[in-house]
This record gives sequence, C-alpha cells and structure tokens, in this order.
Amino acid sequence: MRQAGAYSGILCGGISGRTGPHLLPLARIKKIMKKSGDDVKMISGEAPIVFSKACELFIEELTQRSWLVTMQGKRRTLNKEDVTSAVLATDIFDFLVNLVSET
Amino acid sequence: MEPMDIVGKSKEDASLPKATMTKIIKEMLPPDVRVARDAQDLLIECCVEFINLISSESNEVCNREDKRTIAPEHVLKALEVLGFGEYIEEVCAAYEQHKIETLQDSLRGGKWSNGAEMTEEEAVAEQQRMFAEARARMNGGAVAPKQPDPDPSLES
Repeated sequence: MRQAGAYSGILCGGISGRTGPHLLPLARIKKIMKKSGDDVKMISGEAPIVFSKACELFIEELTQRSWLVTMQGKRRTLNKEDVTSAVLATDIFDFLVNLVSET
Repeated sequence: MEPMDIVGKSKEDASLPKATMTKIIKEMLPPDVRVARDAQDLLIECCVEFINLISSESNEVCNREDKRTIAPEHVLKALEVLGFGEYIEEVCAAYEQHKIETLQDSLRGGKWSNGAEMTEEEAVAEQQRMFAEARARMNGGAVAPKQPDPDPSLES
C-alpha cells in the first residue's frame, strides 16, 4: 500500500534501520500513555517500543496522504489544510476529526 | 467510553520531540518539499492523539484479559481493533529486532558467563529459542500464559 518509491527514490524499506530500532523516546511515550486515561494500568517495558514503531508508521501514513493532497493542488509546500483533508478522507483517522477542525 | 473525552483536556506536558518528528516527516517526502510549521505541529498533535487512542484501547484489552500490565500483545490487539492492522507486521518485526539487540547487549555484558563463555552457536540457539517463545506469545493471542513470564525486561 505504501508506495514510497513513487515520491522519493531514496526511500526503500524501513527508515528505522538507519538510526536504530526506535527513534521516539520511550520515556516520553510512556508518559503520554499514562496520561491517556485515569485508570491506566502498569505498562510493560516493551510496550513503548511497540508504540514507537506504530507511531512512526502512523506519521508516515498521515504525511503521505497529506502530501497527496498537496500534489493534487500542484503545490510544493505541505500545509495544515492538506493534513486536515487527509484526515477527513481516511476512515481510520476518524478519531482525529475533532482535533483537526478545532485548530 | 470515547477515548477523546478527556475532562479538562489541556496541552499535555509530554509531547513528542519536534526534531525527531520533523525528521520522520521529512524522510517521507521528496527533498525539495517544504512543510508548513503549523502542519508540522498538527502532525505531532495527531500522533499524540494516536498514542492516546491506542493506549485507551490497549488498556481495555488488558482489562478484558484480567491482566495488570499492558503488554505488547495488548497493543497489537488494539491496533487491529482500531483499524491499524496493517501496521502489525512491521511493528512485530521491530519488536523482534529489539529483542535481538537486547539479548546481544546482555550477552556482551557477560550476563550469561560465569567464567565460561557461550559459543556463538549457543548464543544463536538461545536467540532462536527466545524468538520461538515470543512468537508463541504473539500468536497465543488472548490465551493467558500458564507460567509466570520470566521476561526480565518487564517493569511496572
């Protein structure tokens, strides 16, 4: 589904191989997880690692979809409205609809 | 319960580092493409919201299984439930990769040696055994393991 080659000849496979297994700071992720609810349980040491990769993939997908919108507008700058359009056009991003429309 | 119904929702103290996020974003795009600052900020906020969403669902999965600690398996299940099943394969691969590297670190740290050293074949065999265990845990899904988890990297 991800067609990285269409946009950039540089991209191939995963990017995390270059800088290590996880780019995002695990402690930060854990903090966000704890704040996500009142009764959050204890978090295993490995859960943030899984999150880190999932976040990476999520951002990549959202960025790609936003970029598609930018290209359709024949522009070279990805702006906020492109992100909003991408969110509204994607079912699984429904949870973001309120977030993008209030900013 | 709506994961987004956070009473008194304020800007979290914990957000994700902008530089790292910018790097991930830029690596997805051709080099001559610019990203507006407010678009970057919005992408970061979306990511935090994503963590909130998956965390809430993971918590629920954990509850349903009567566990006290949110484990990677719960997170994977949450991803699937929420429609991000496509991510699971890569996430698993990254997780396994991490386990290899953690194992290598502890091997190098002499954790296994009491004077006697493990040969490379033994180390590889140990790795394979741990992969098989991890895979079994992953594929076991909702089945609770009968024995207590000896995994040393679990922490509260």
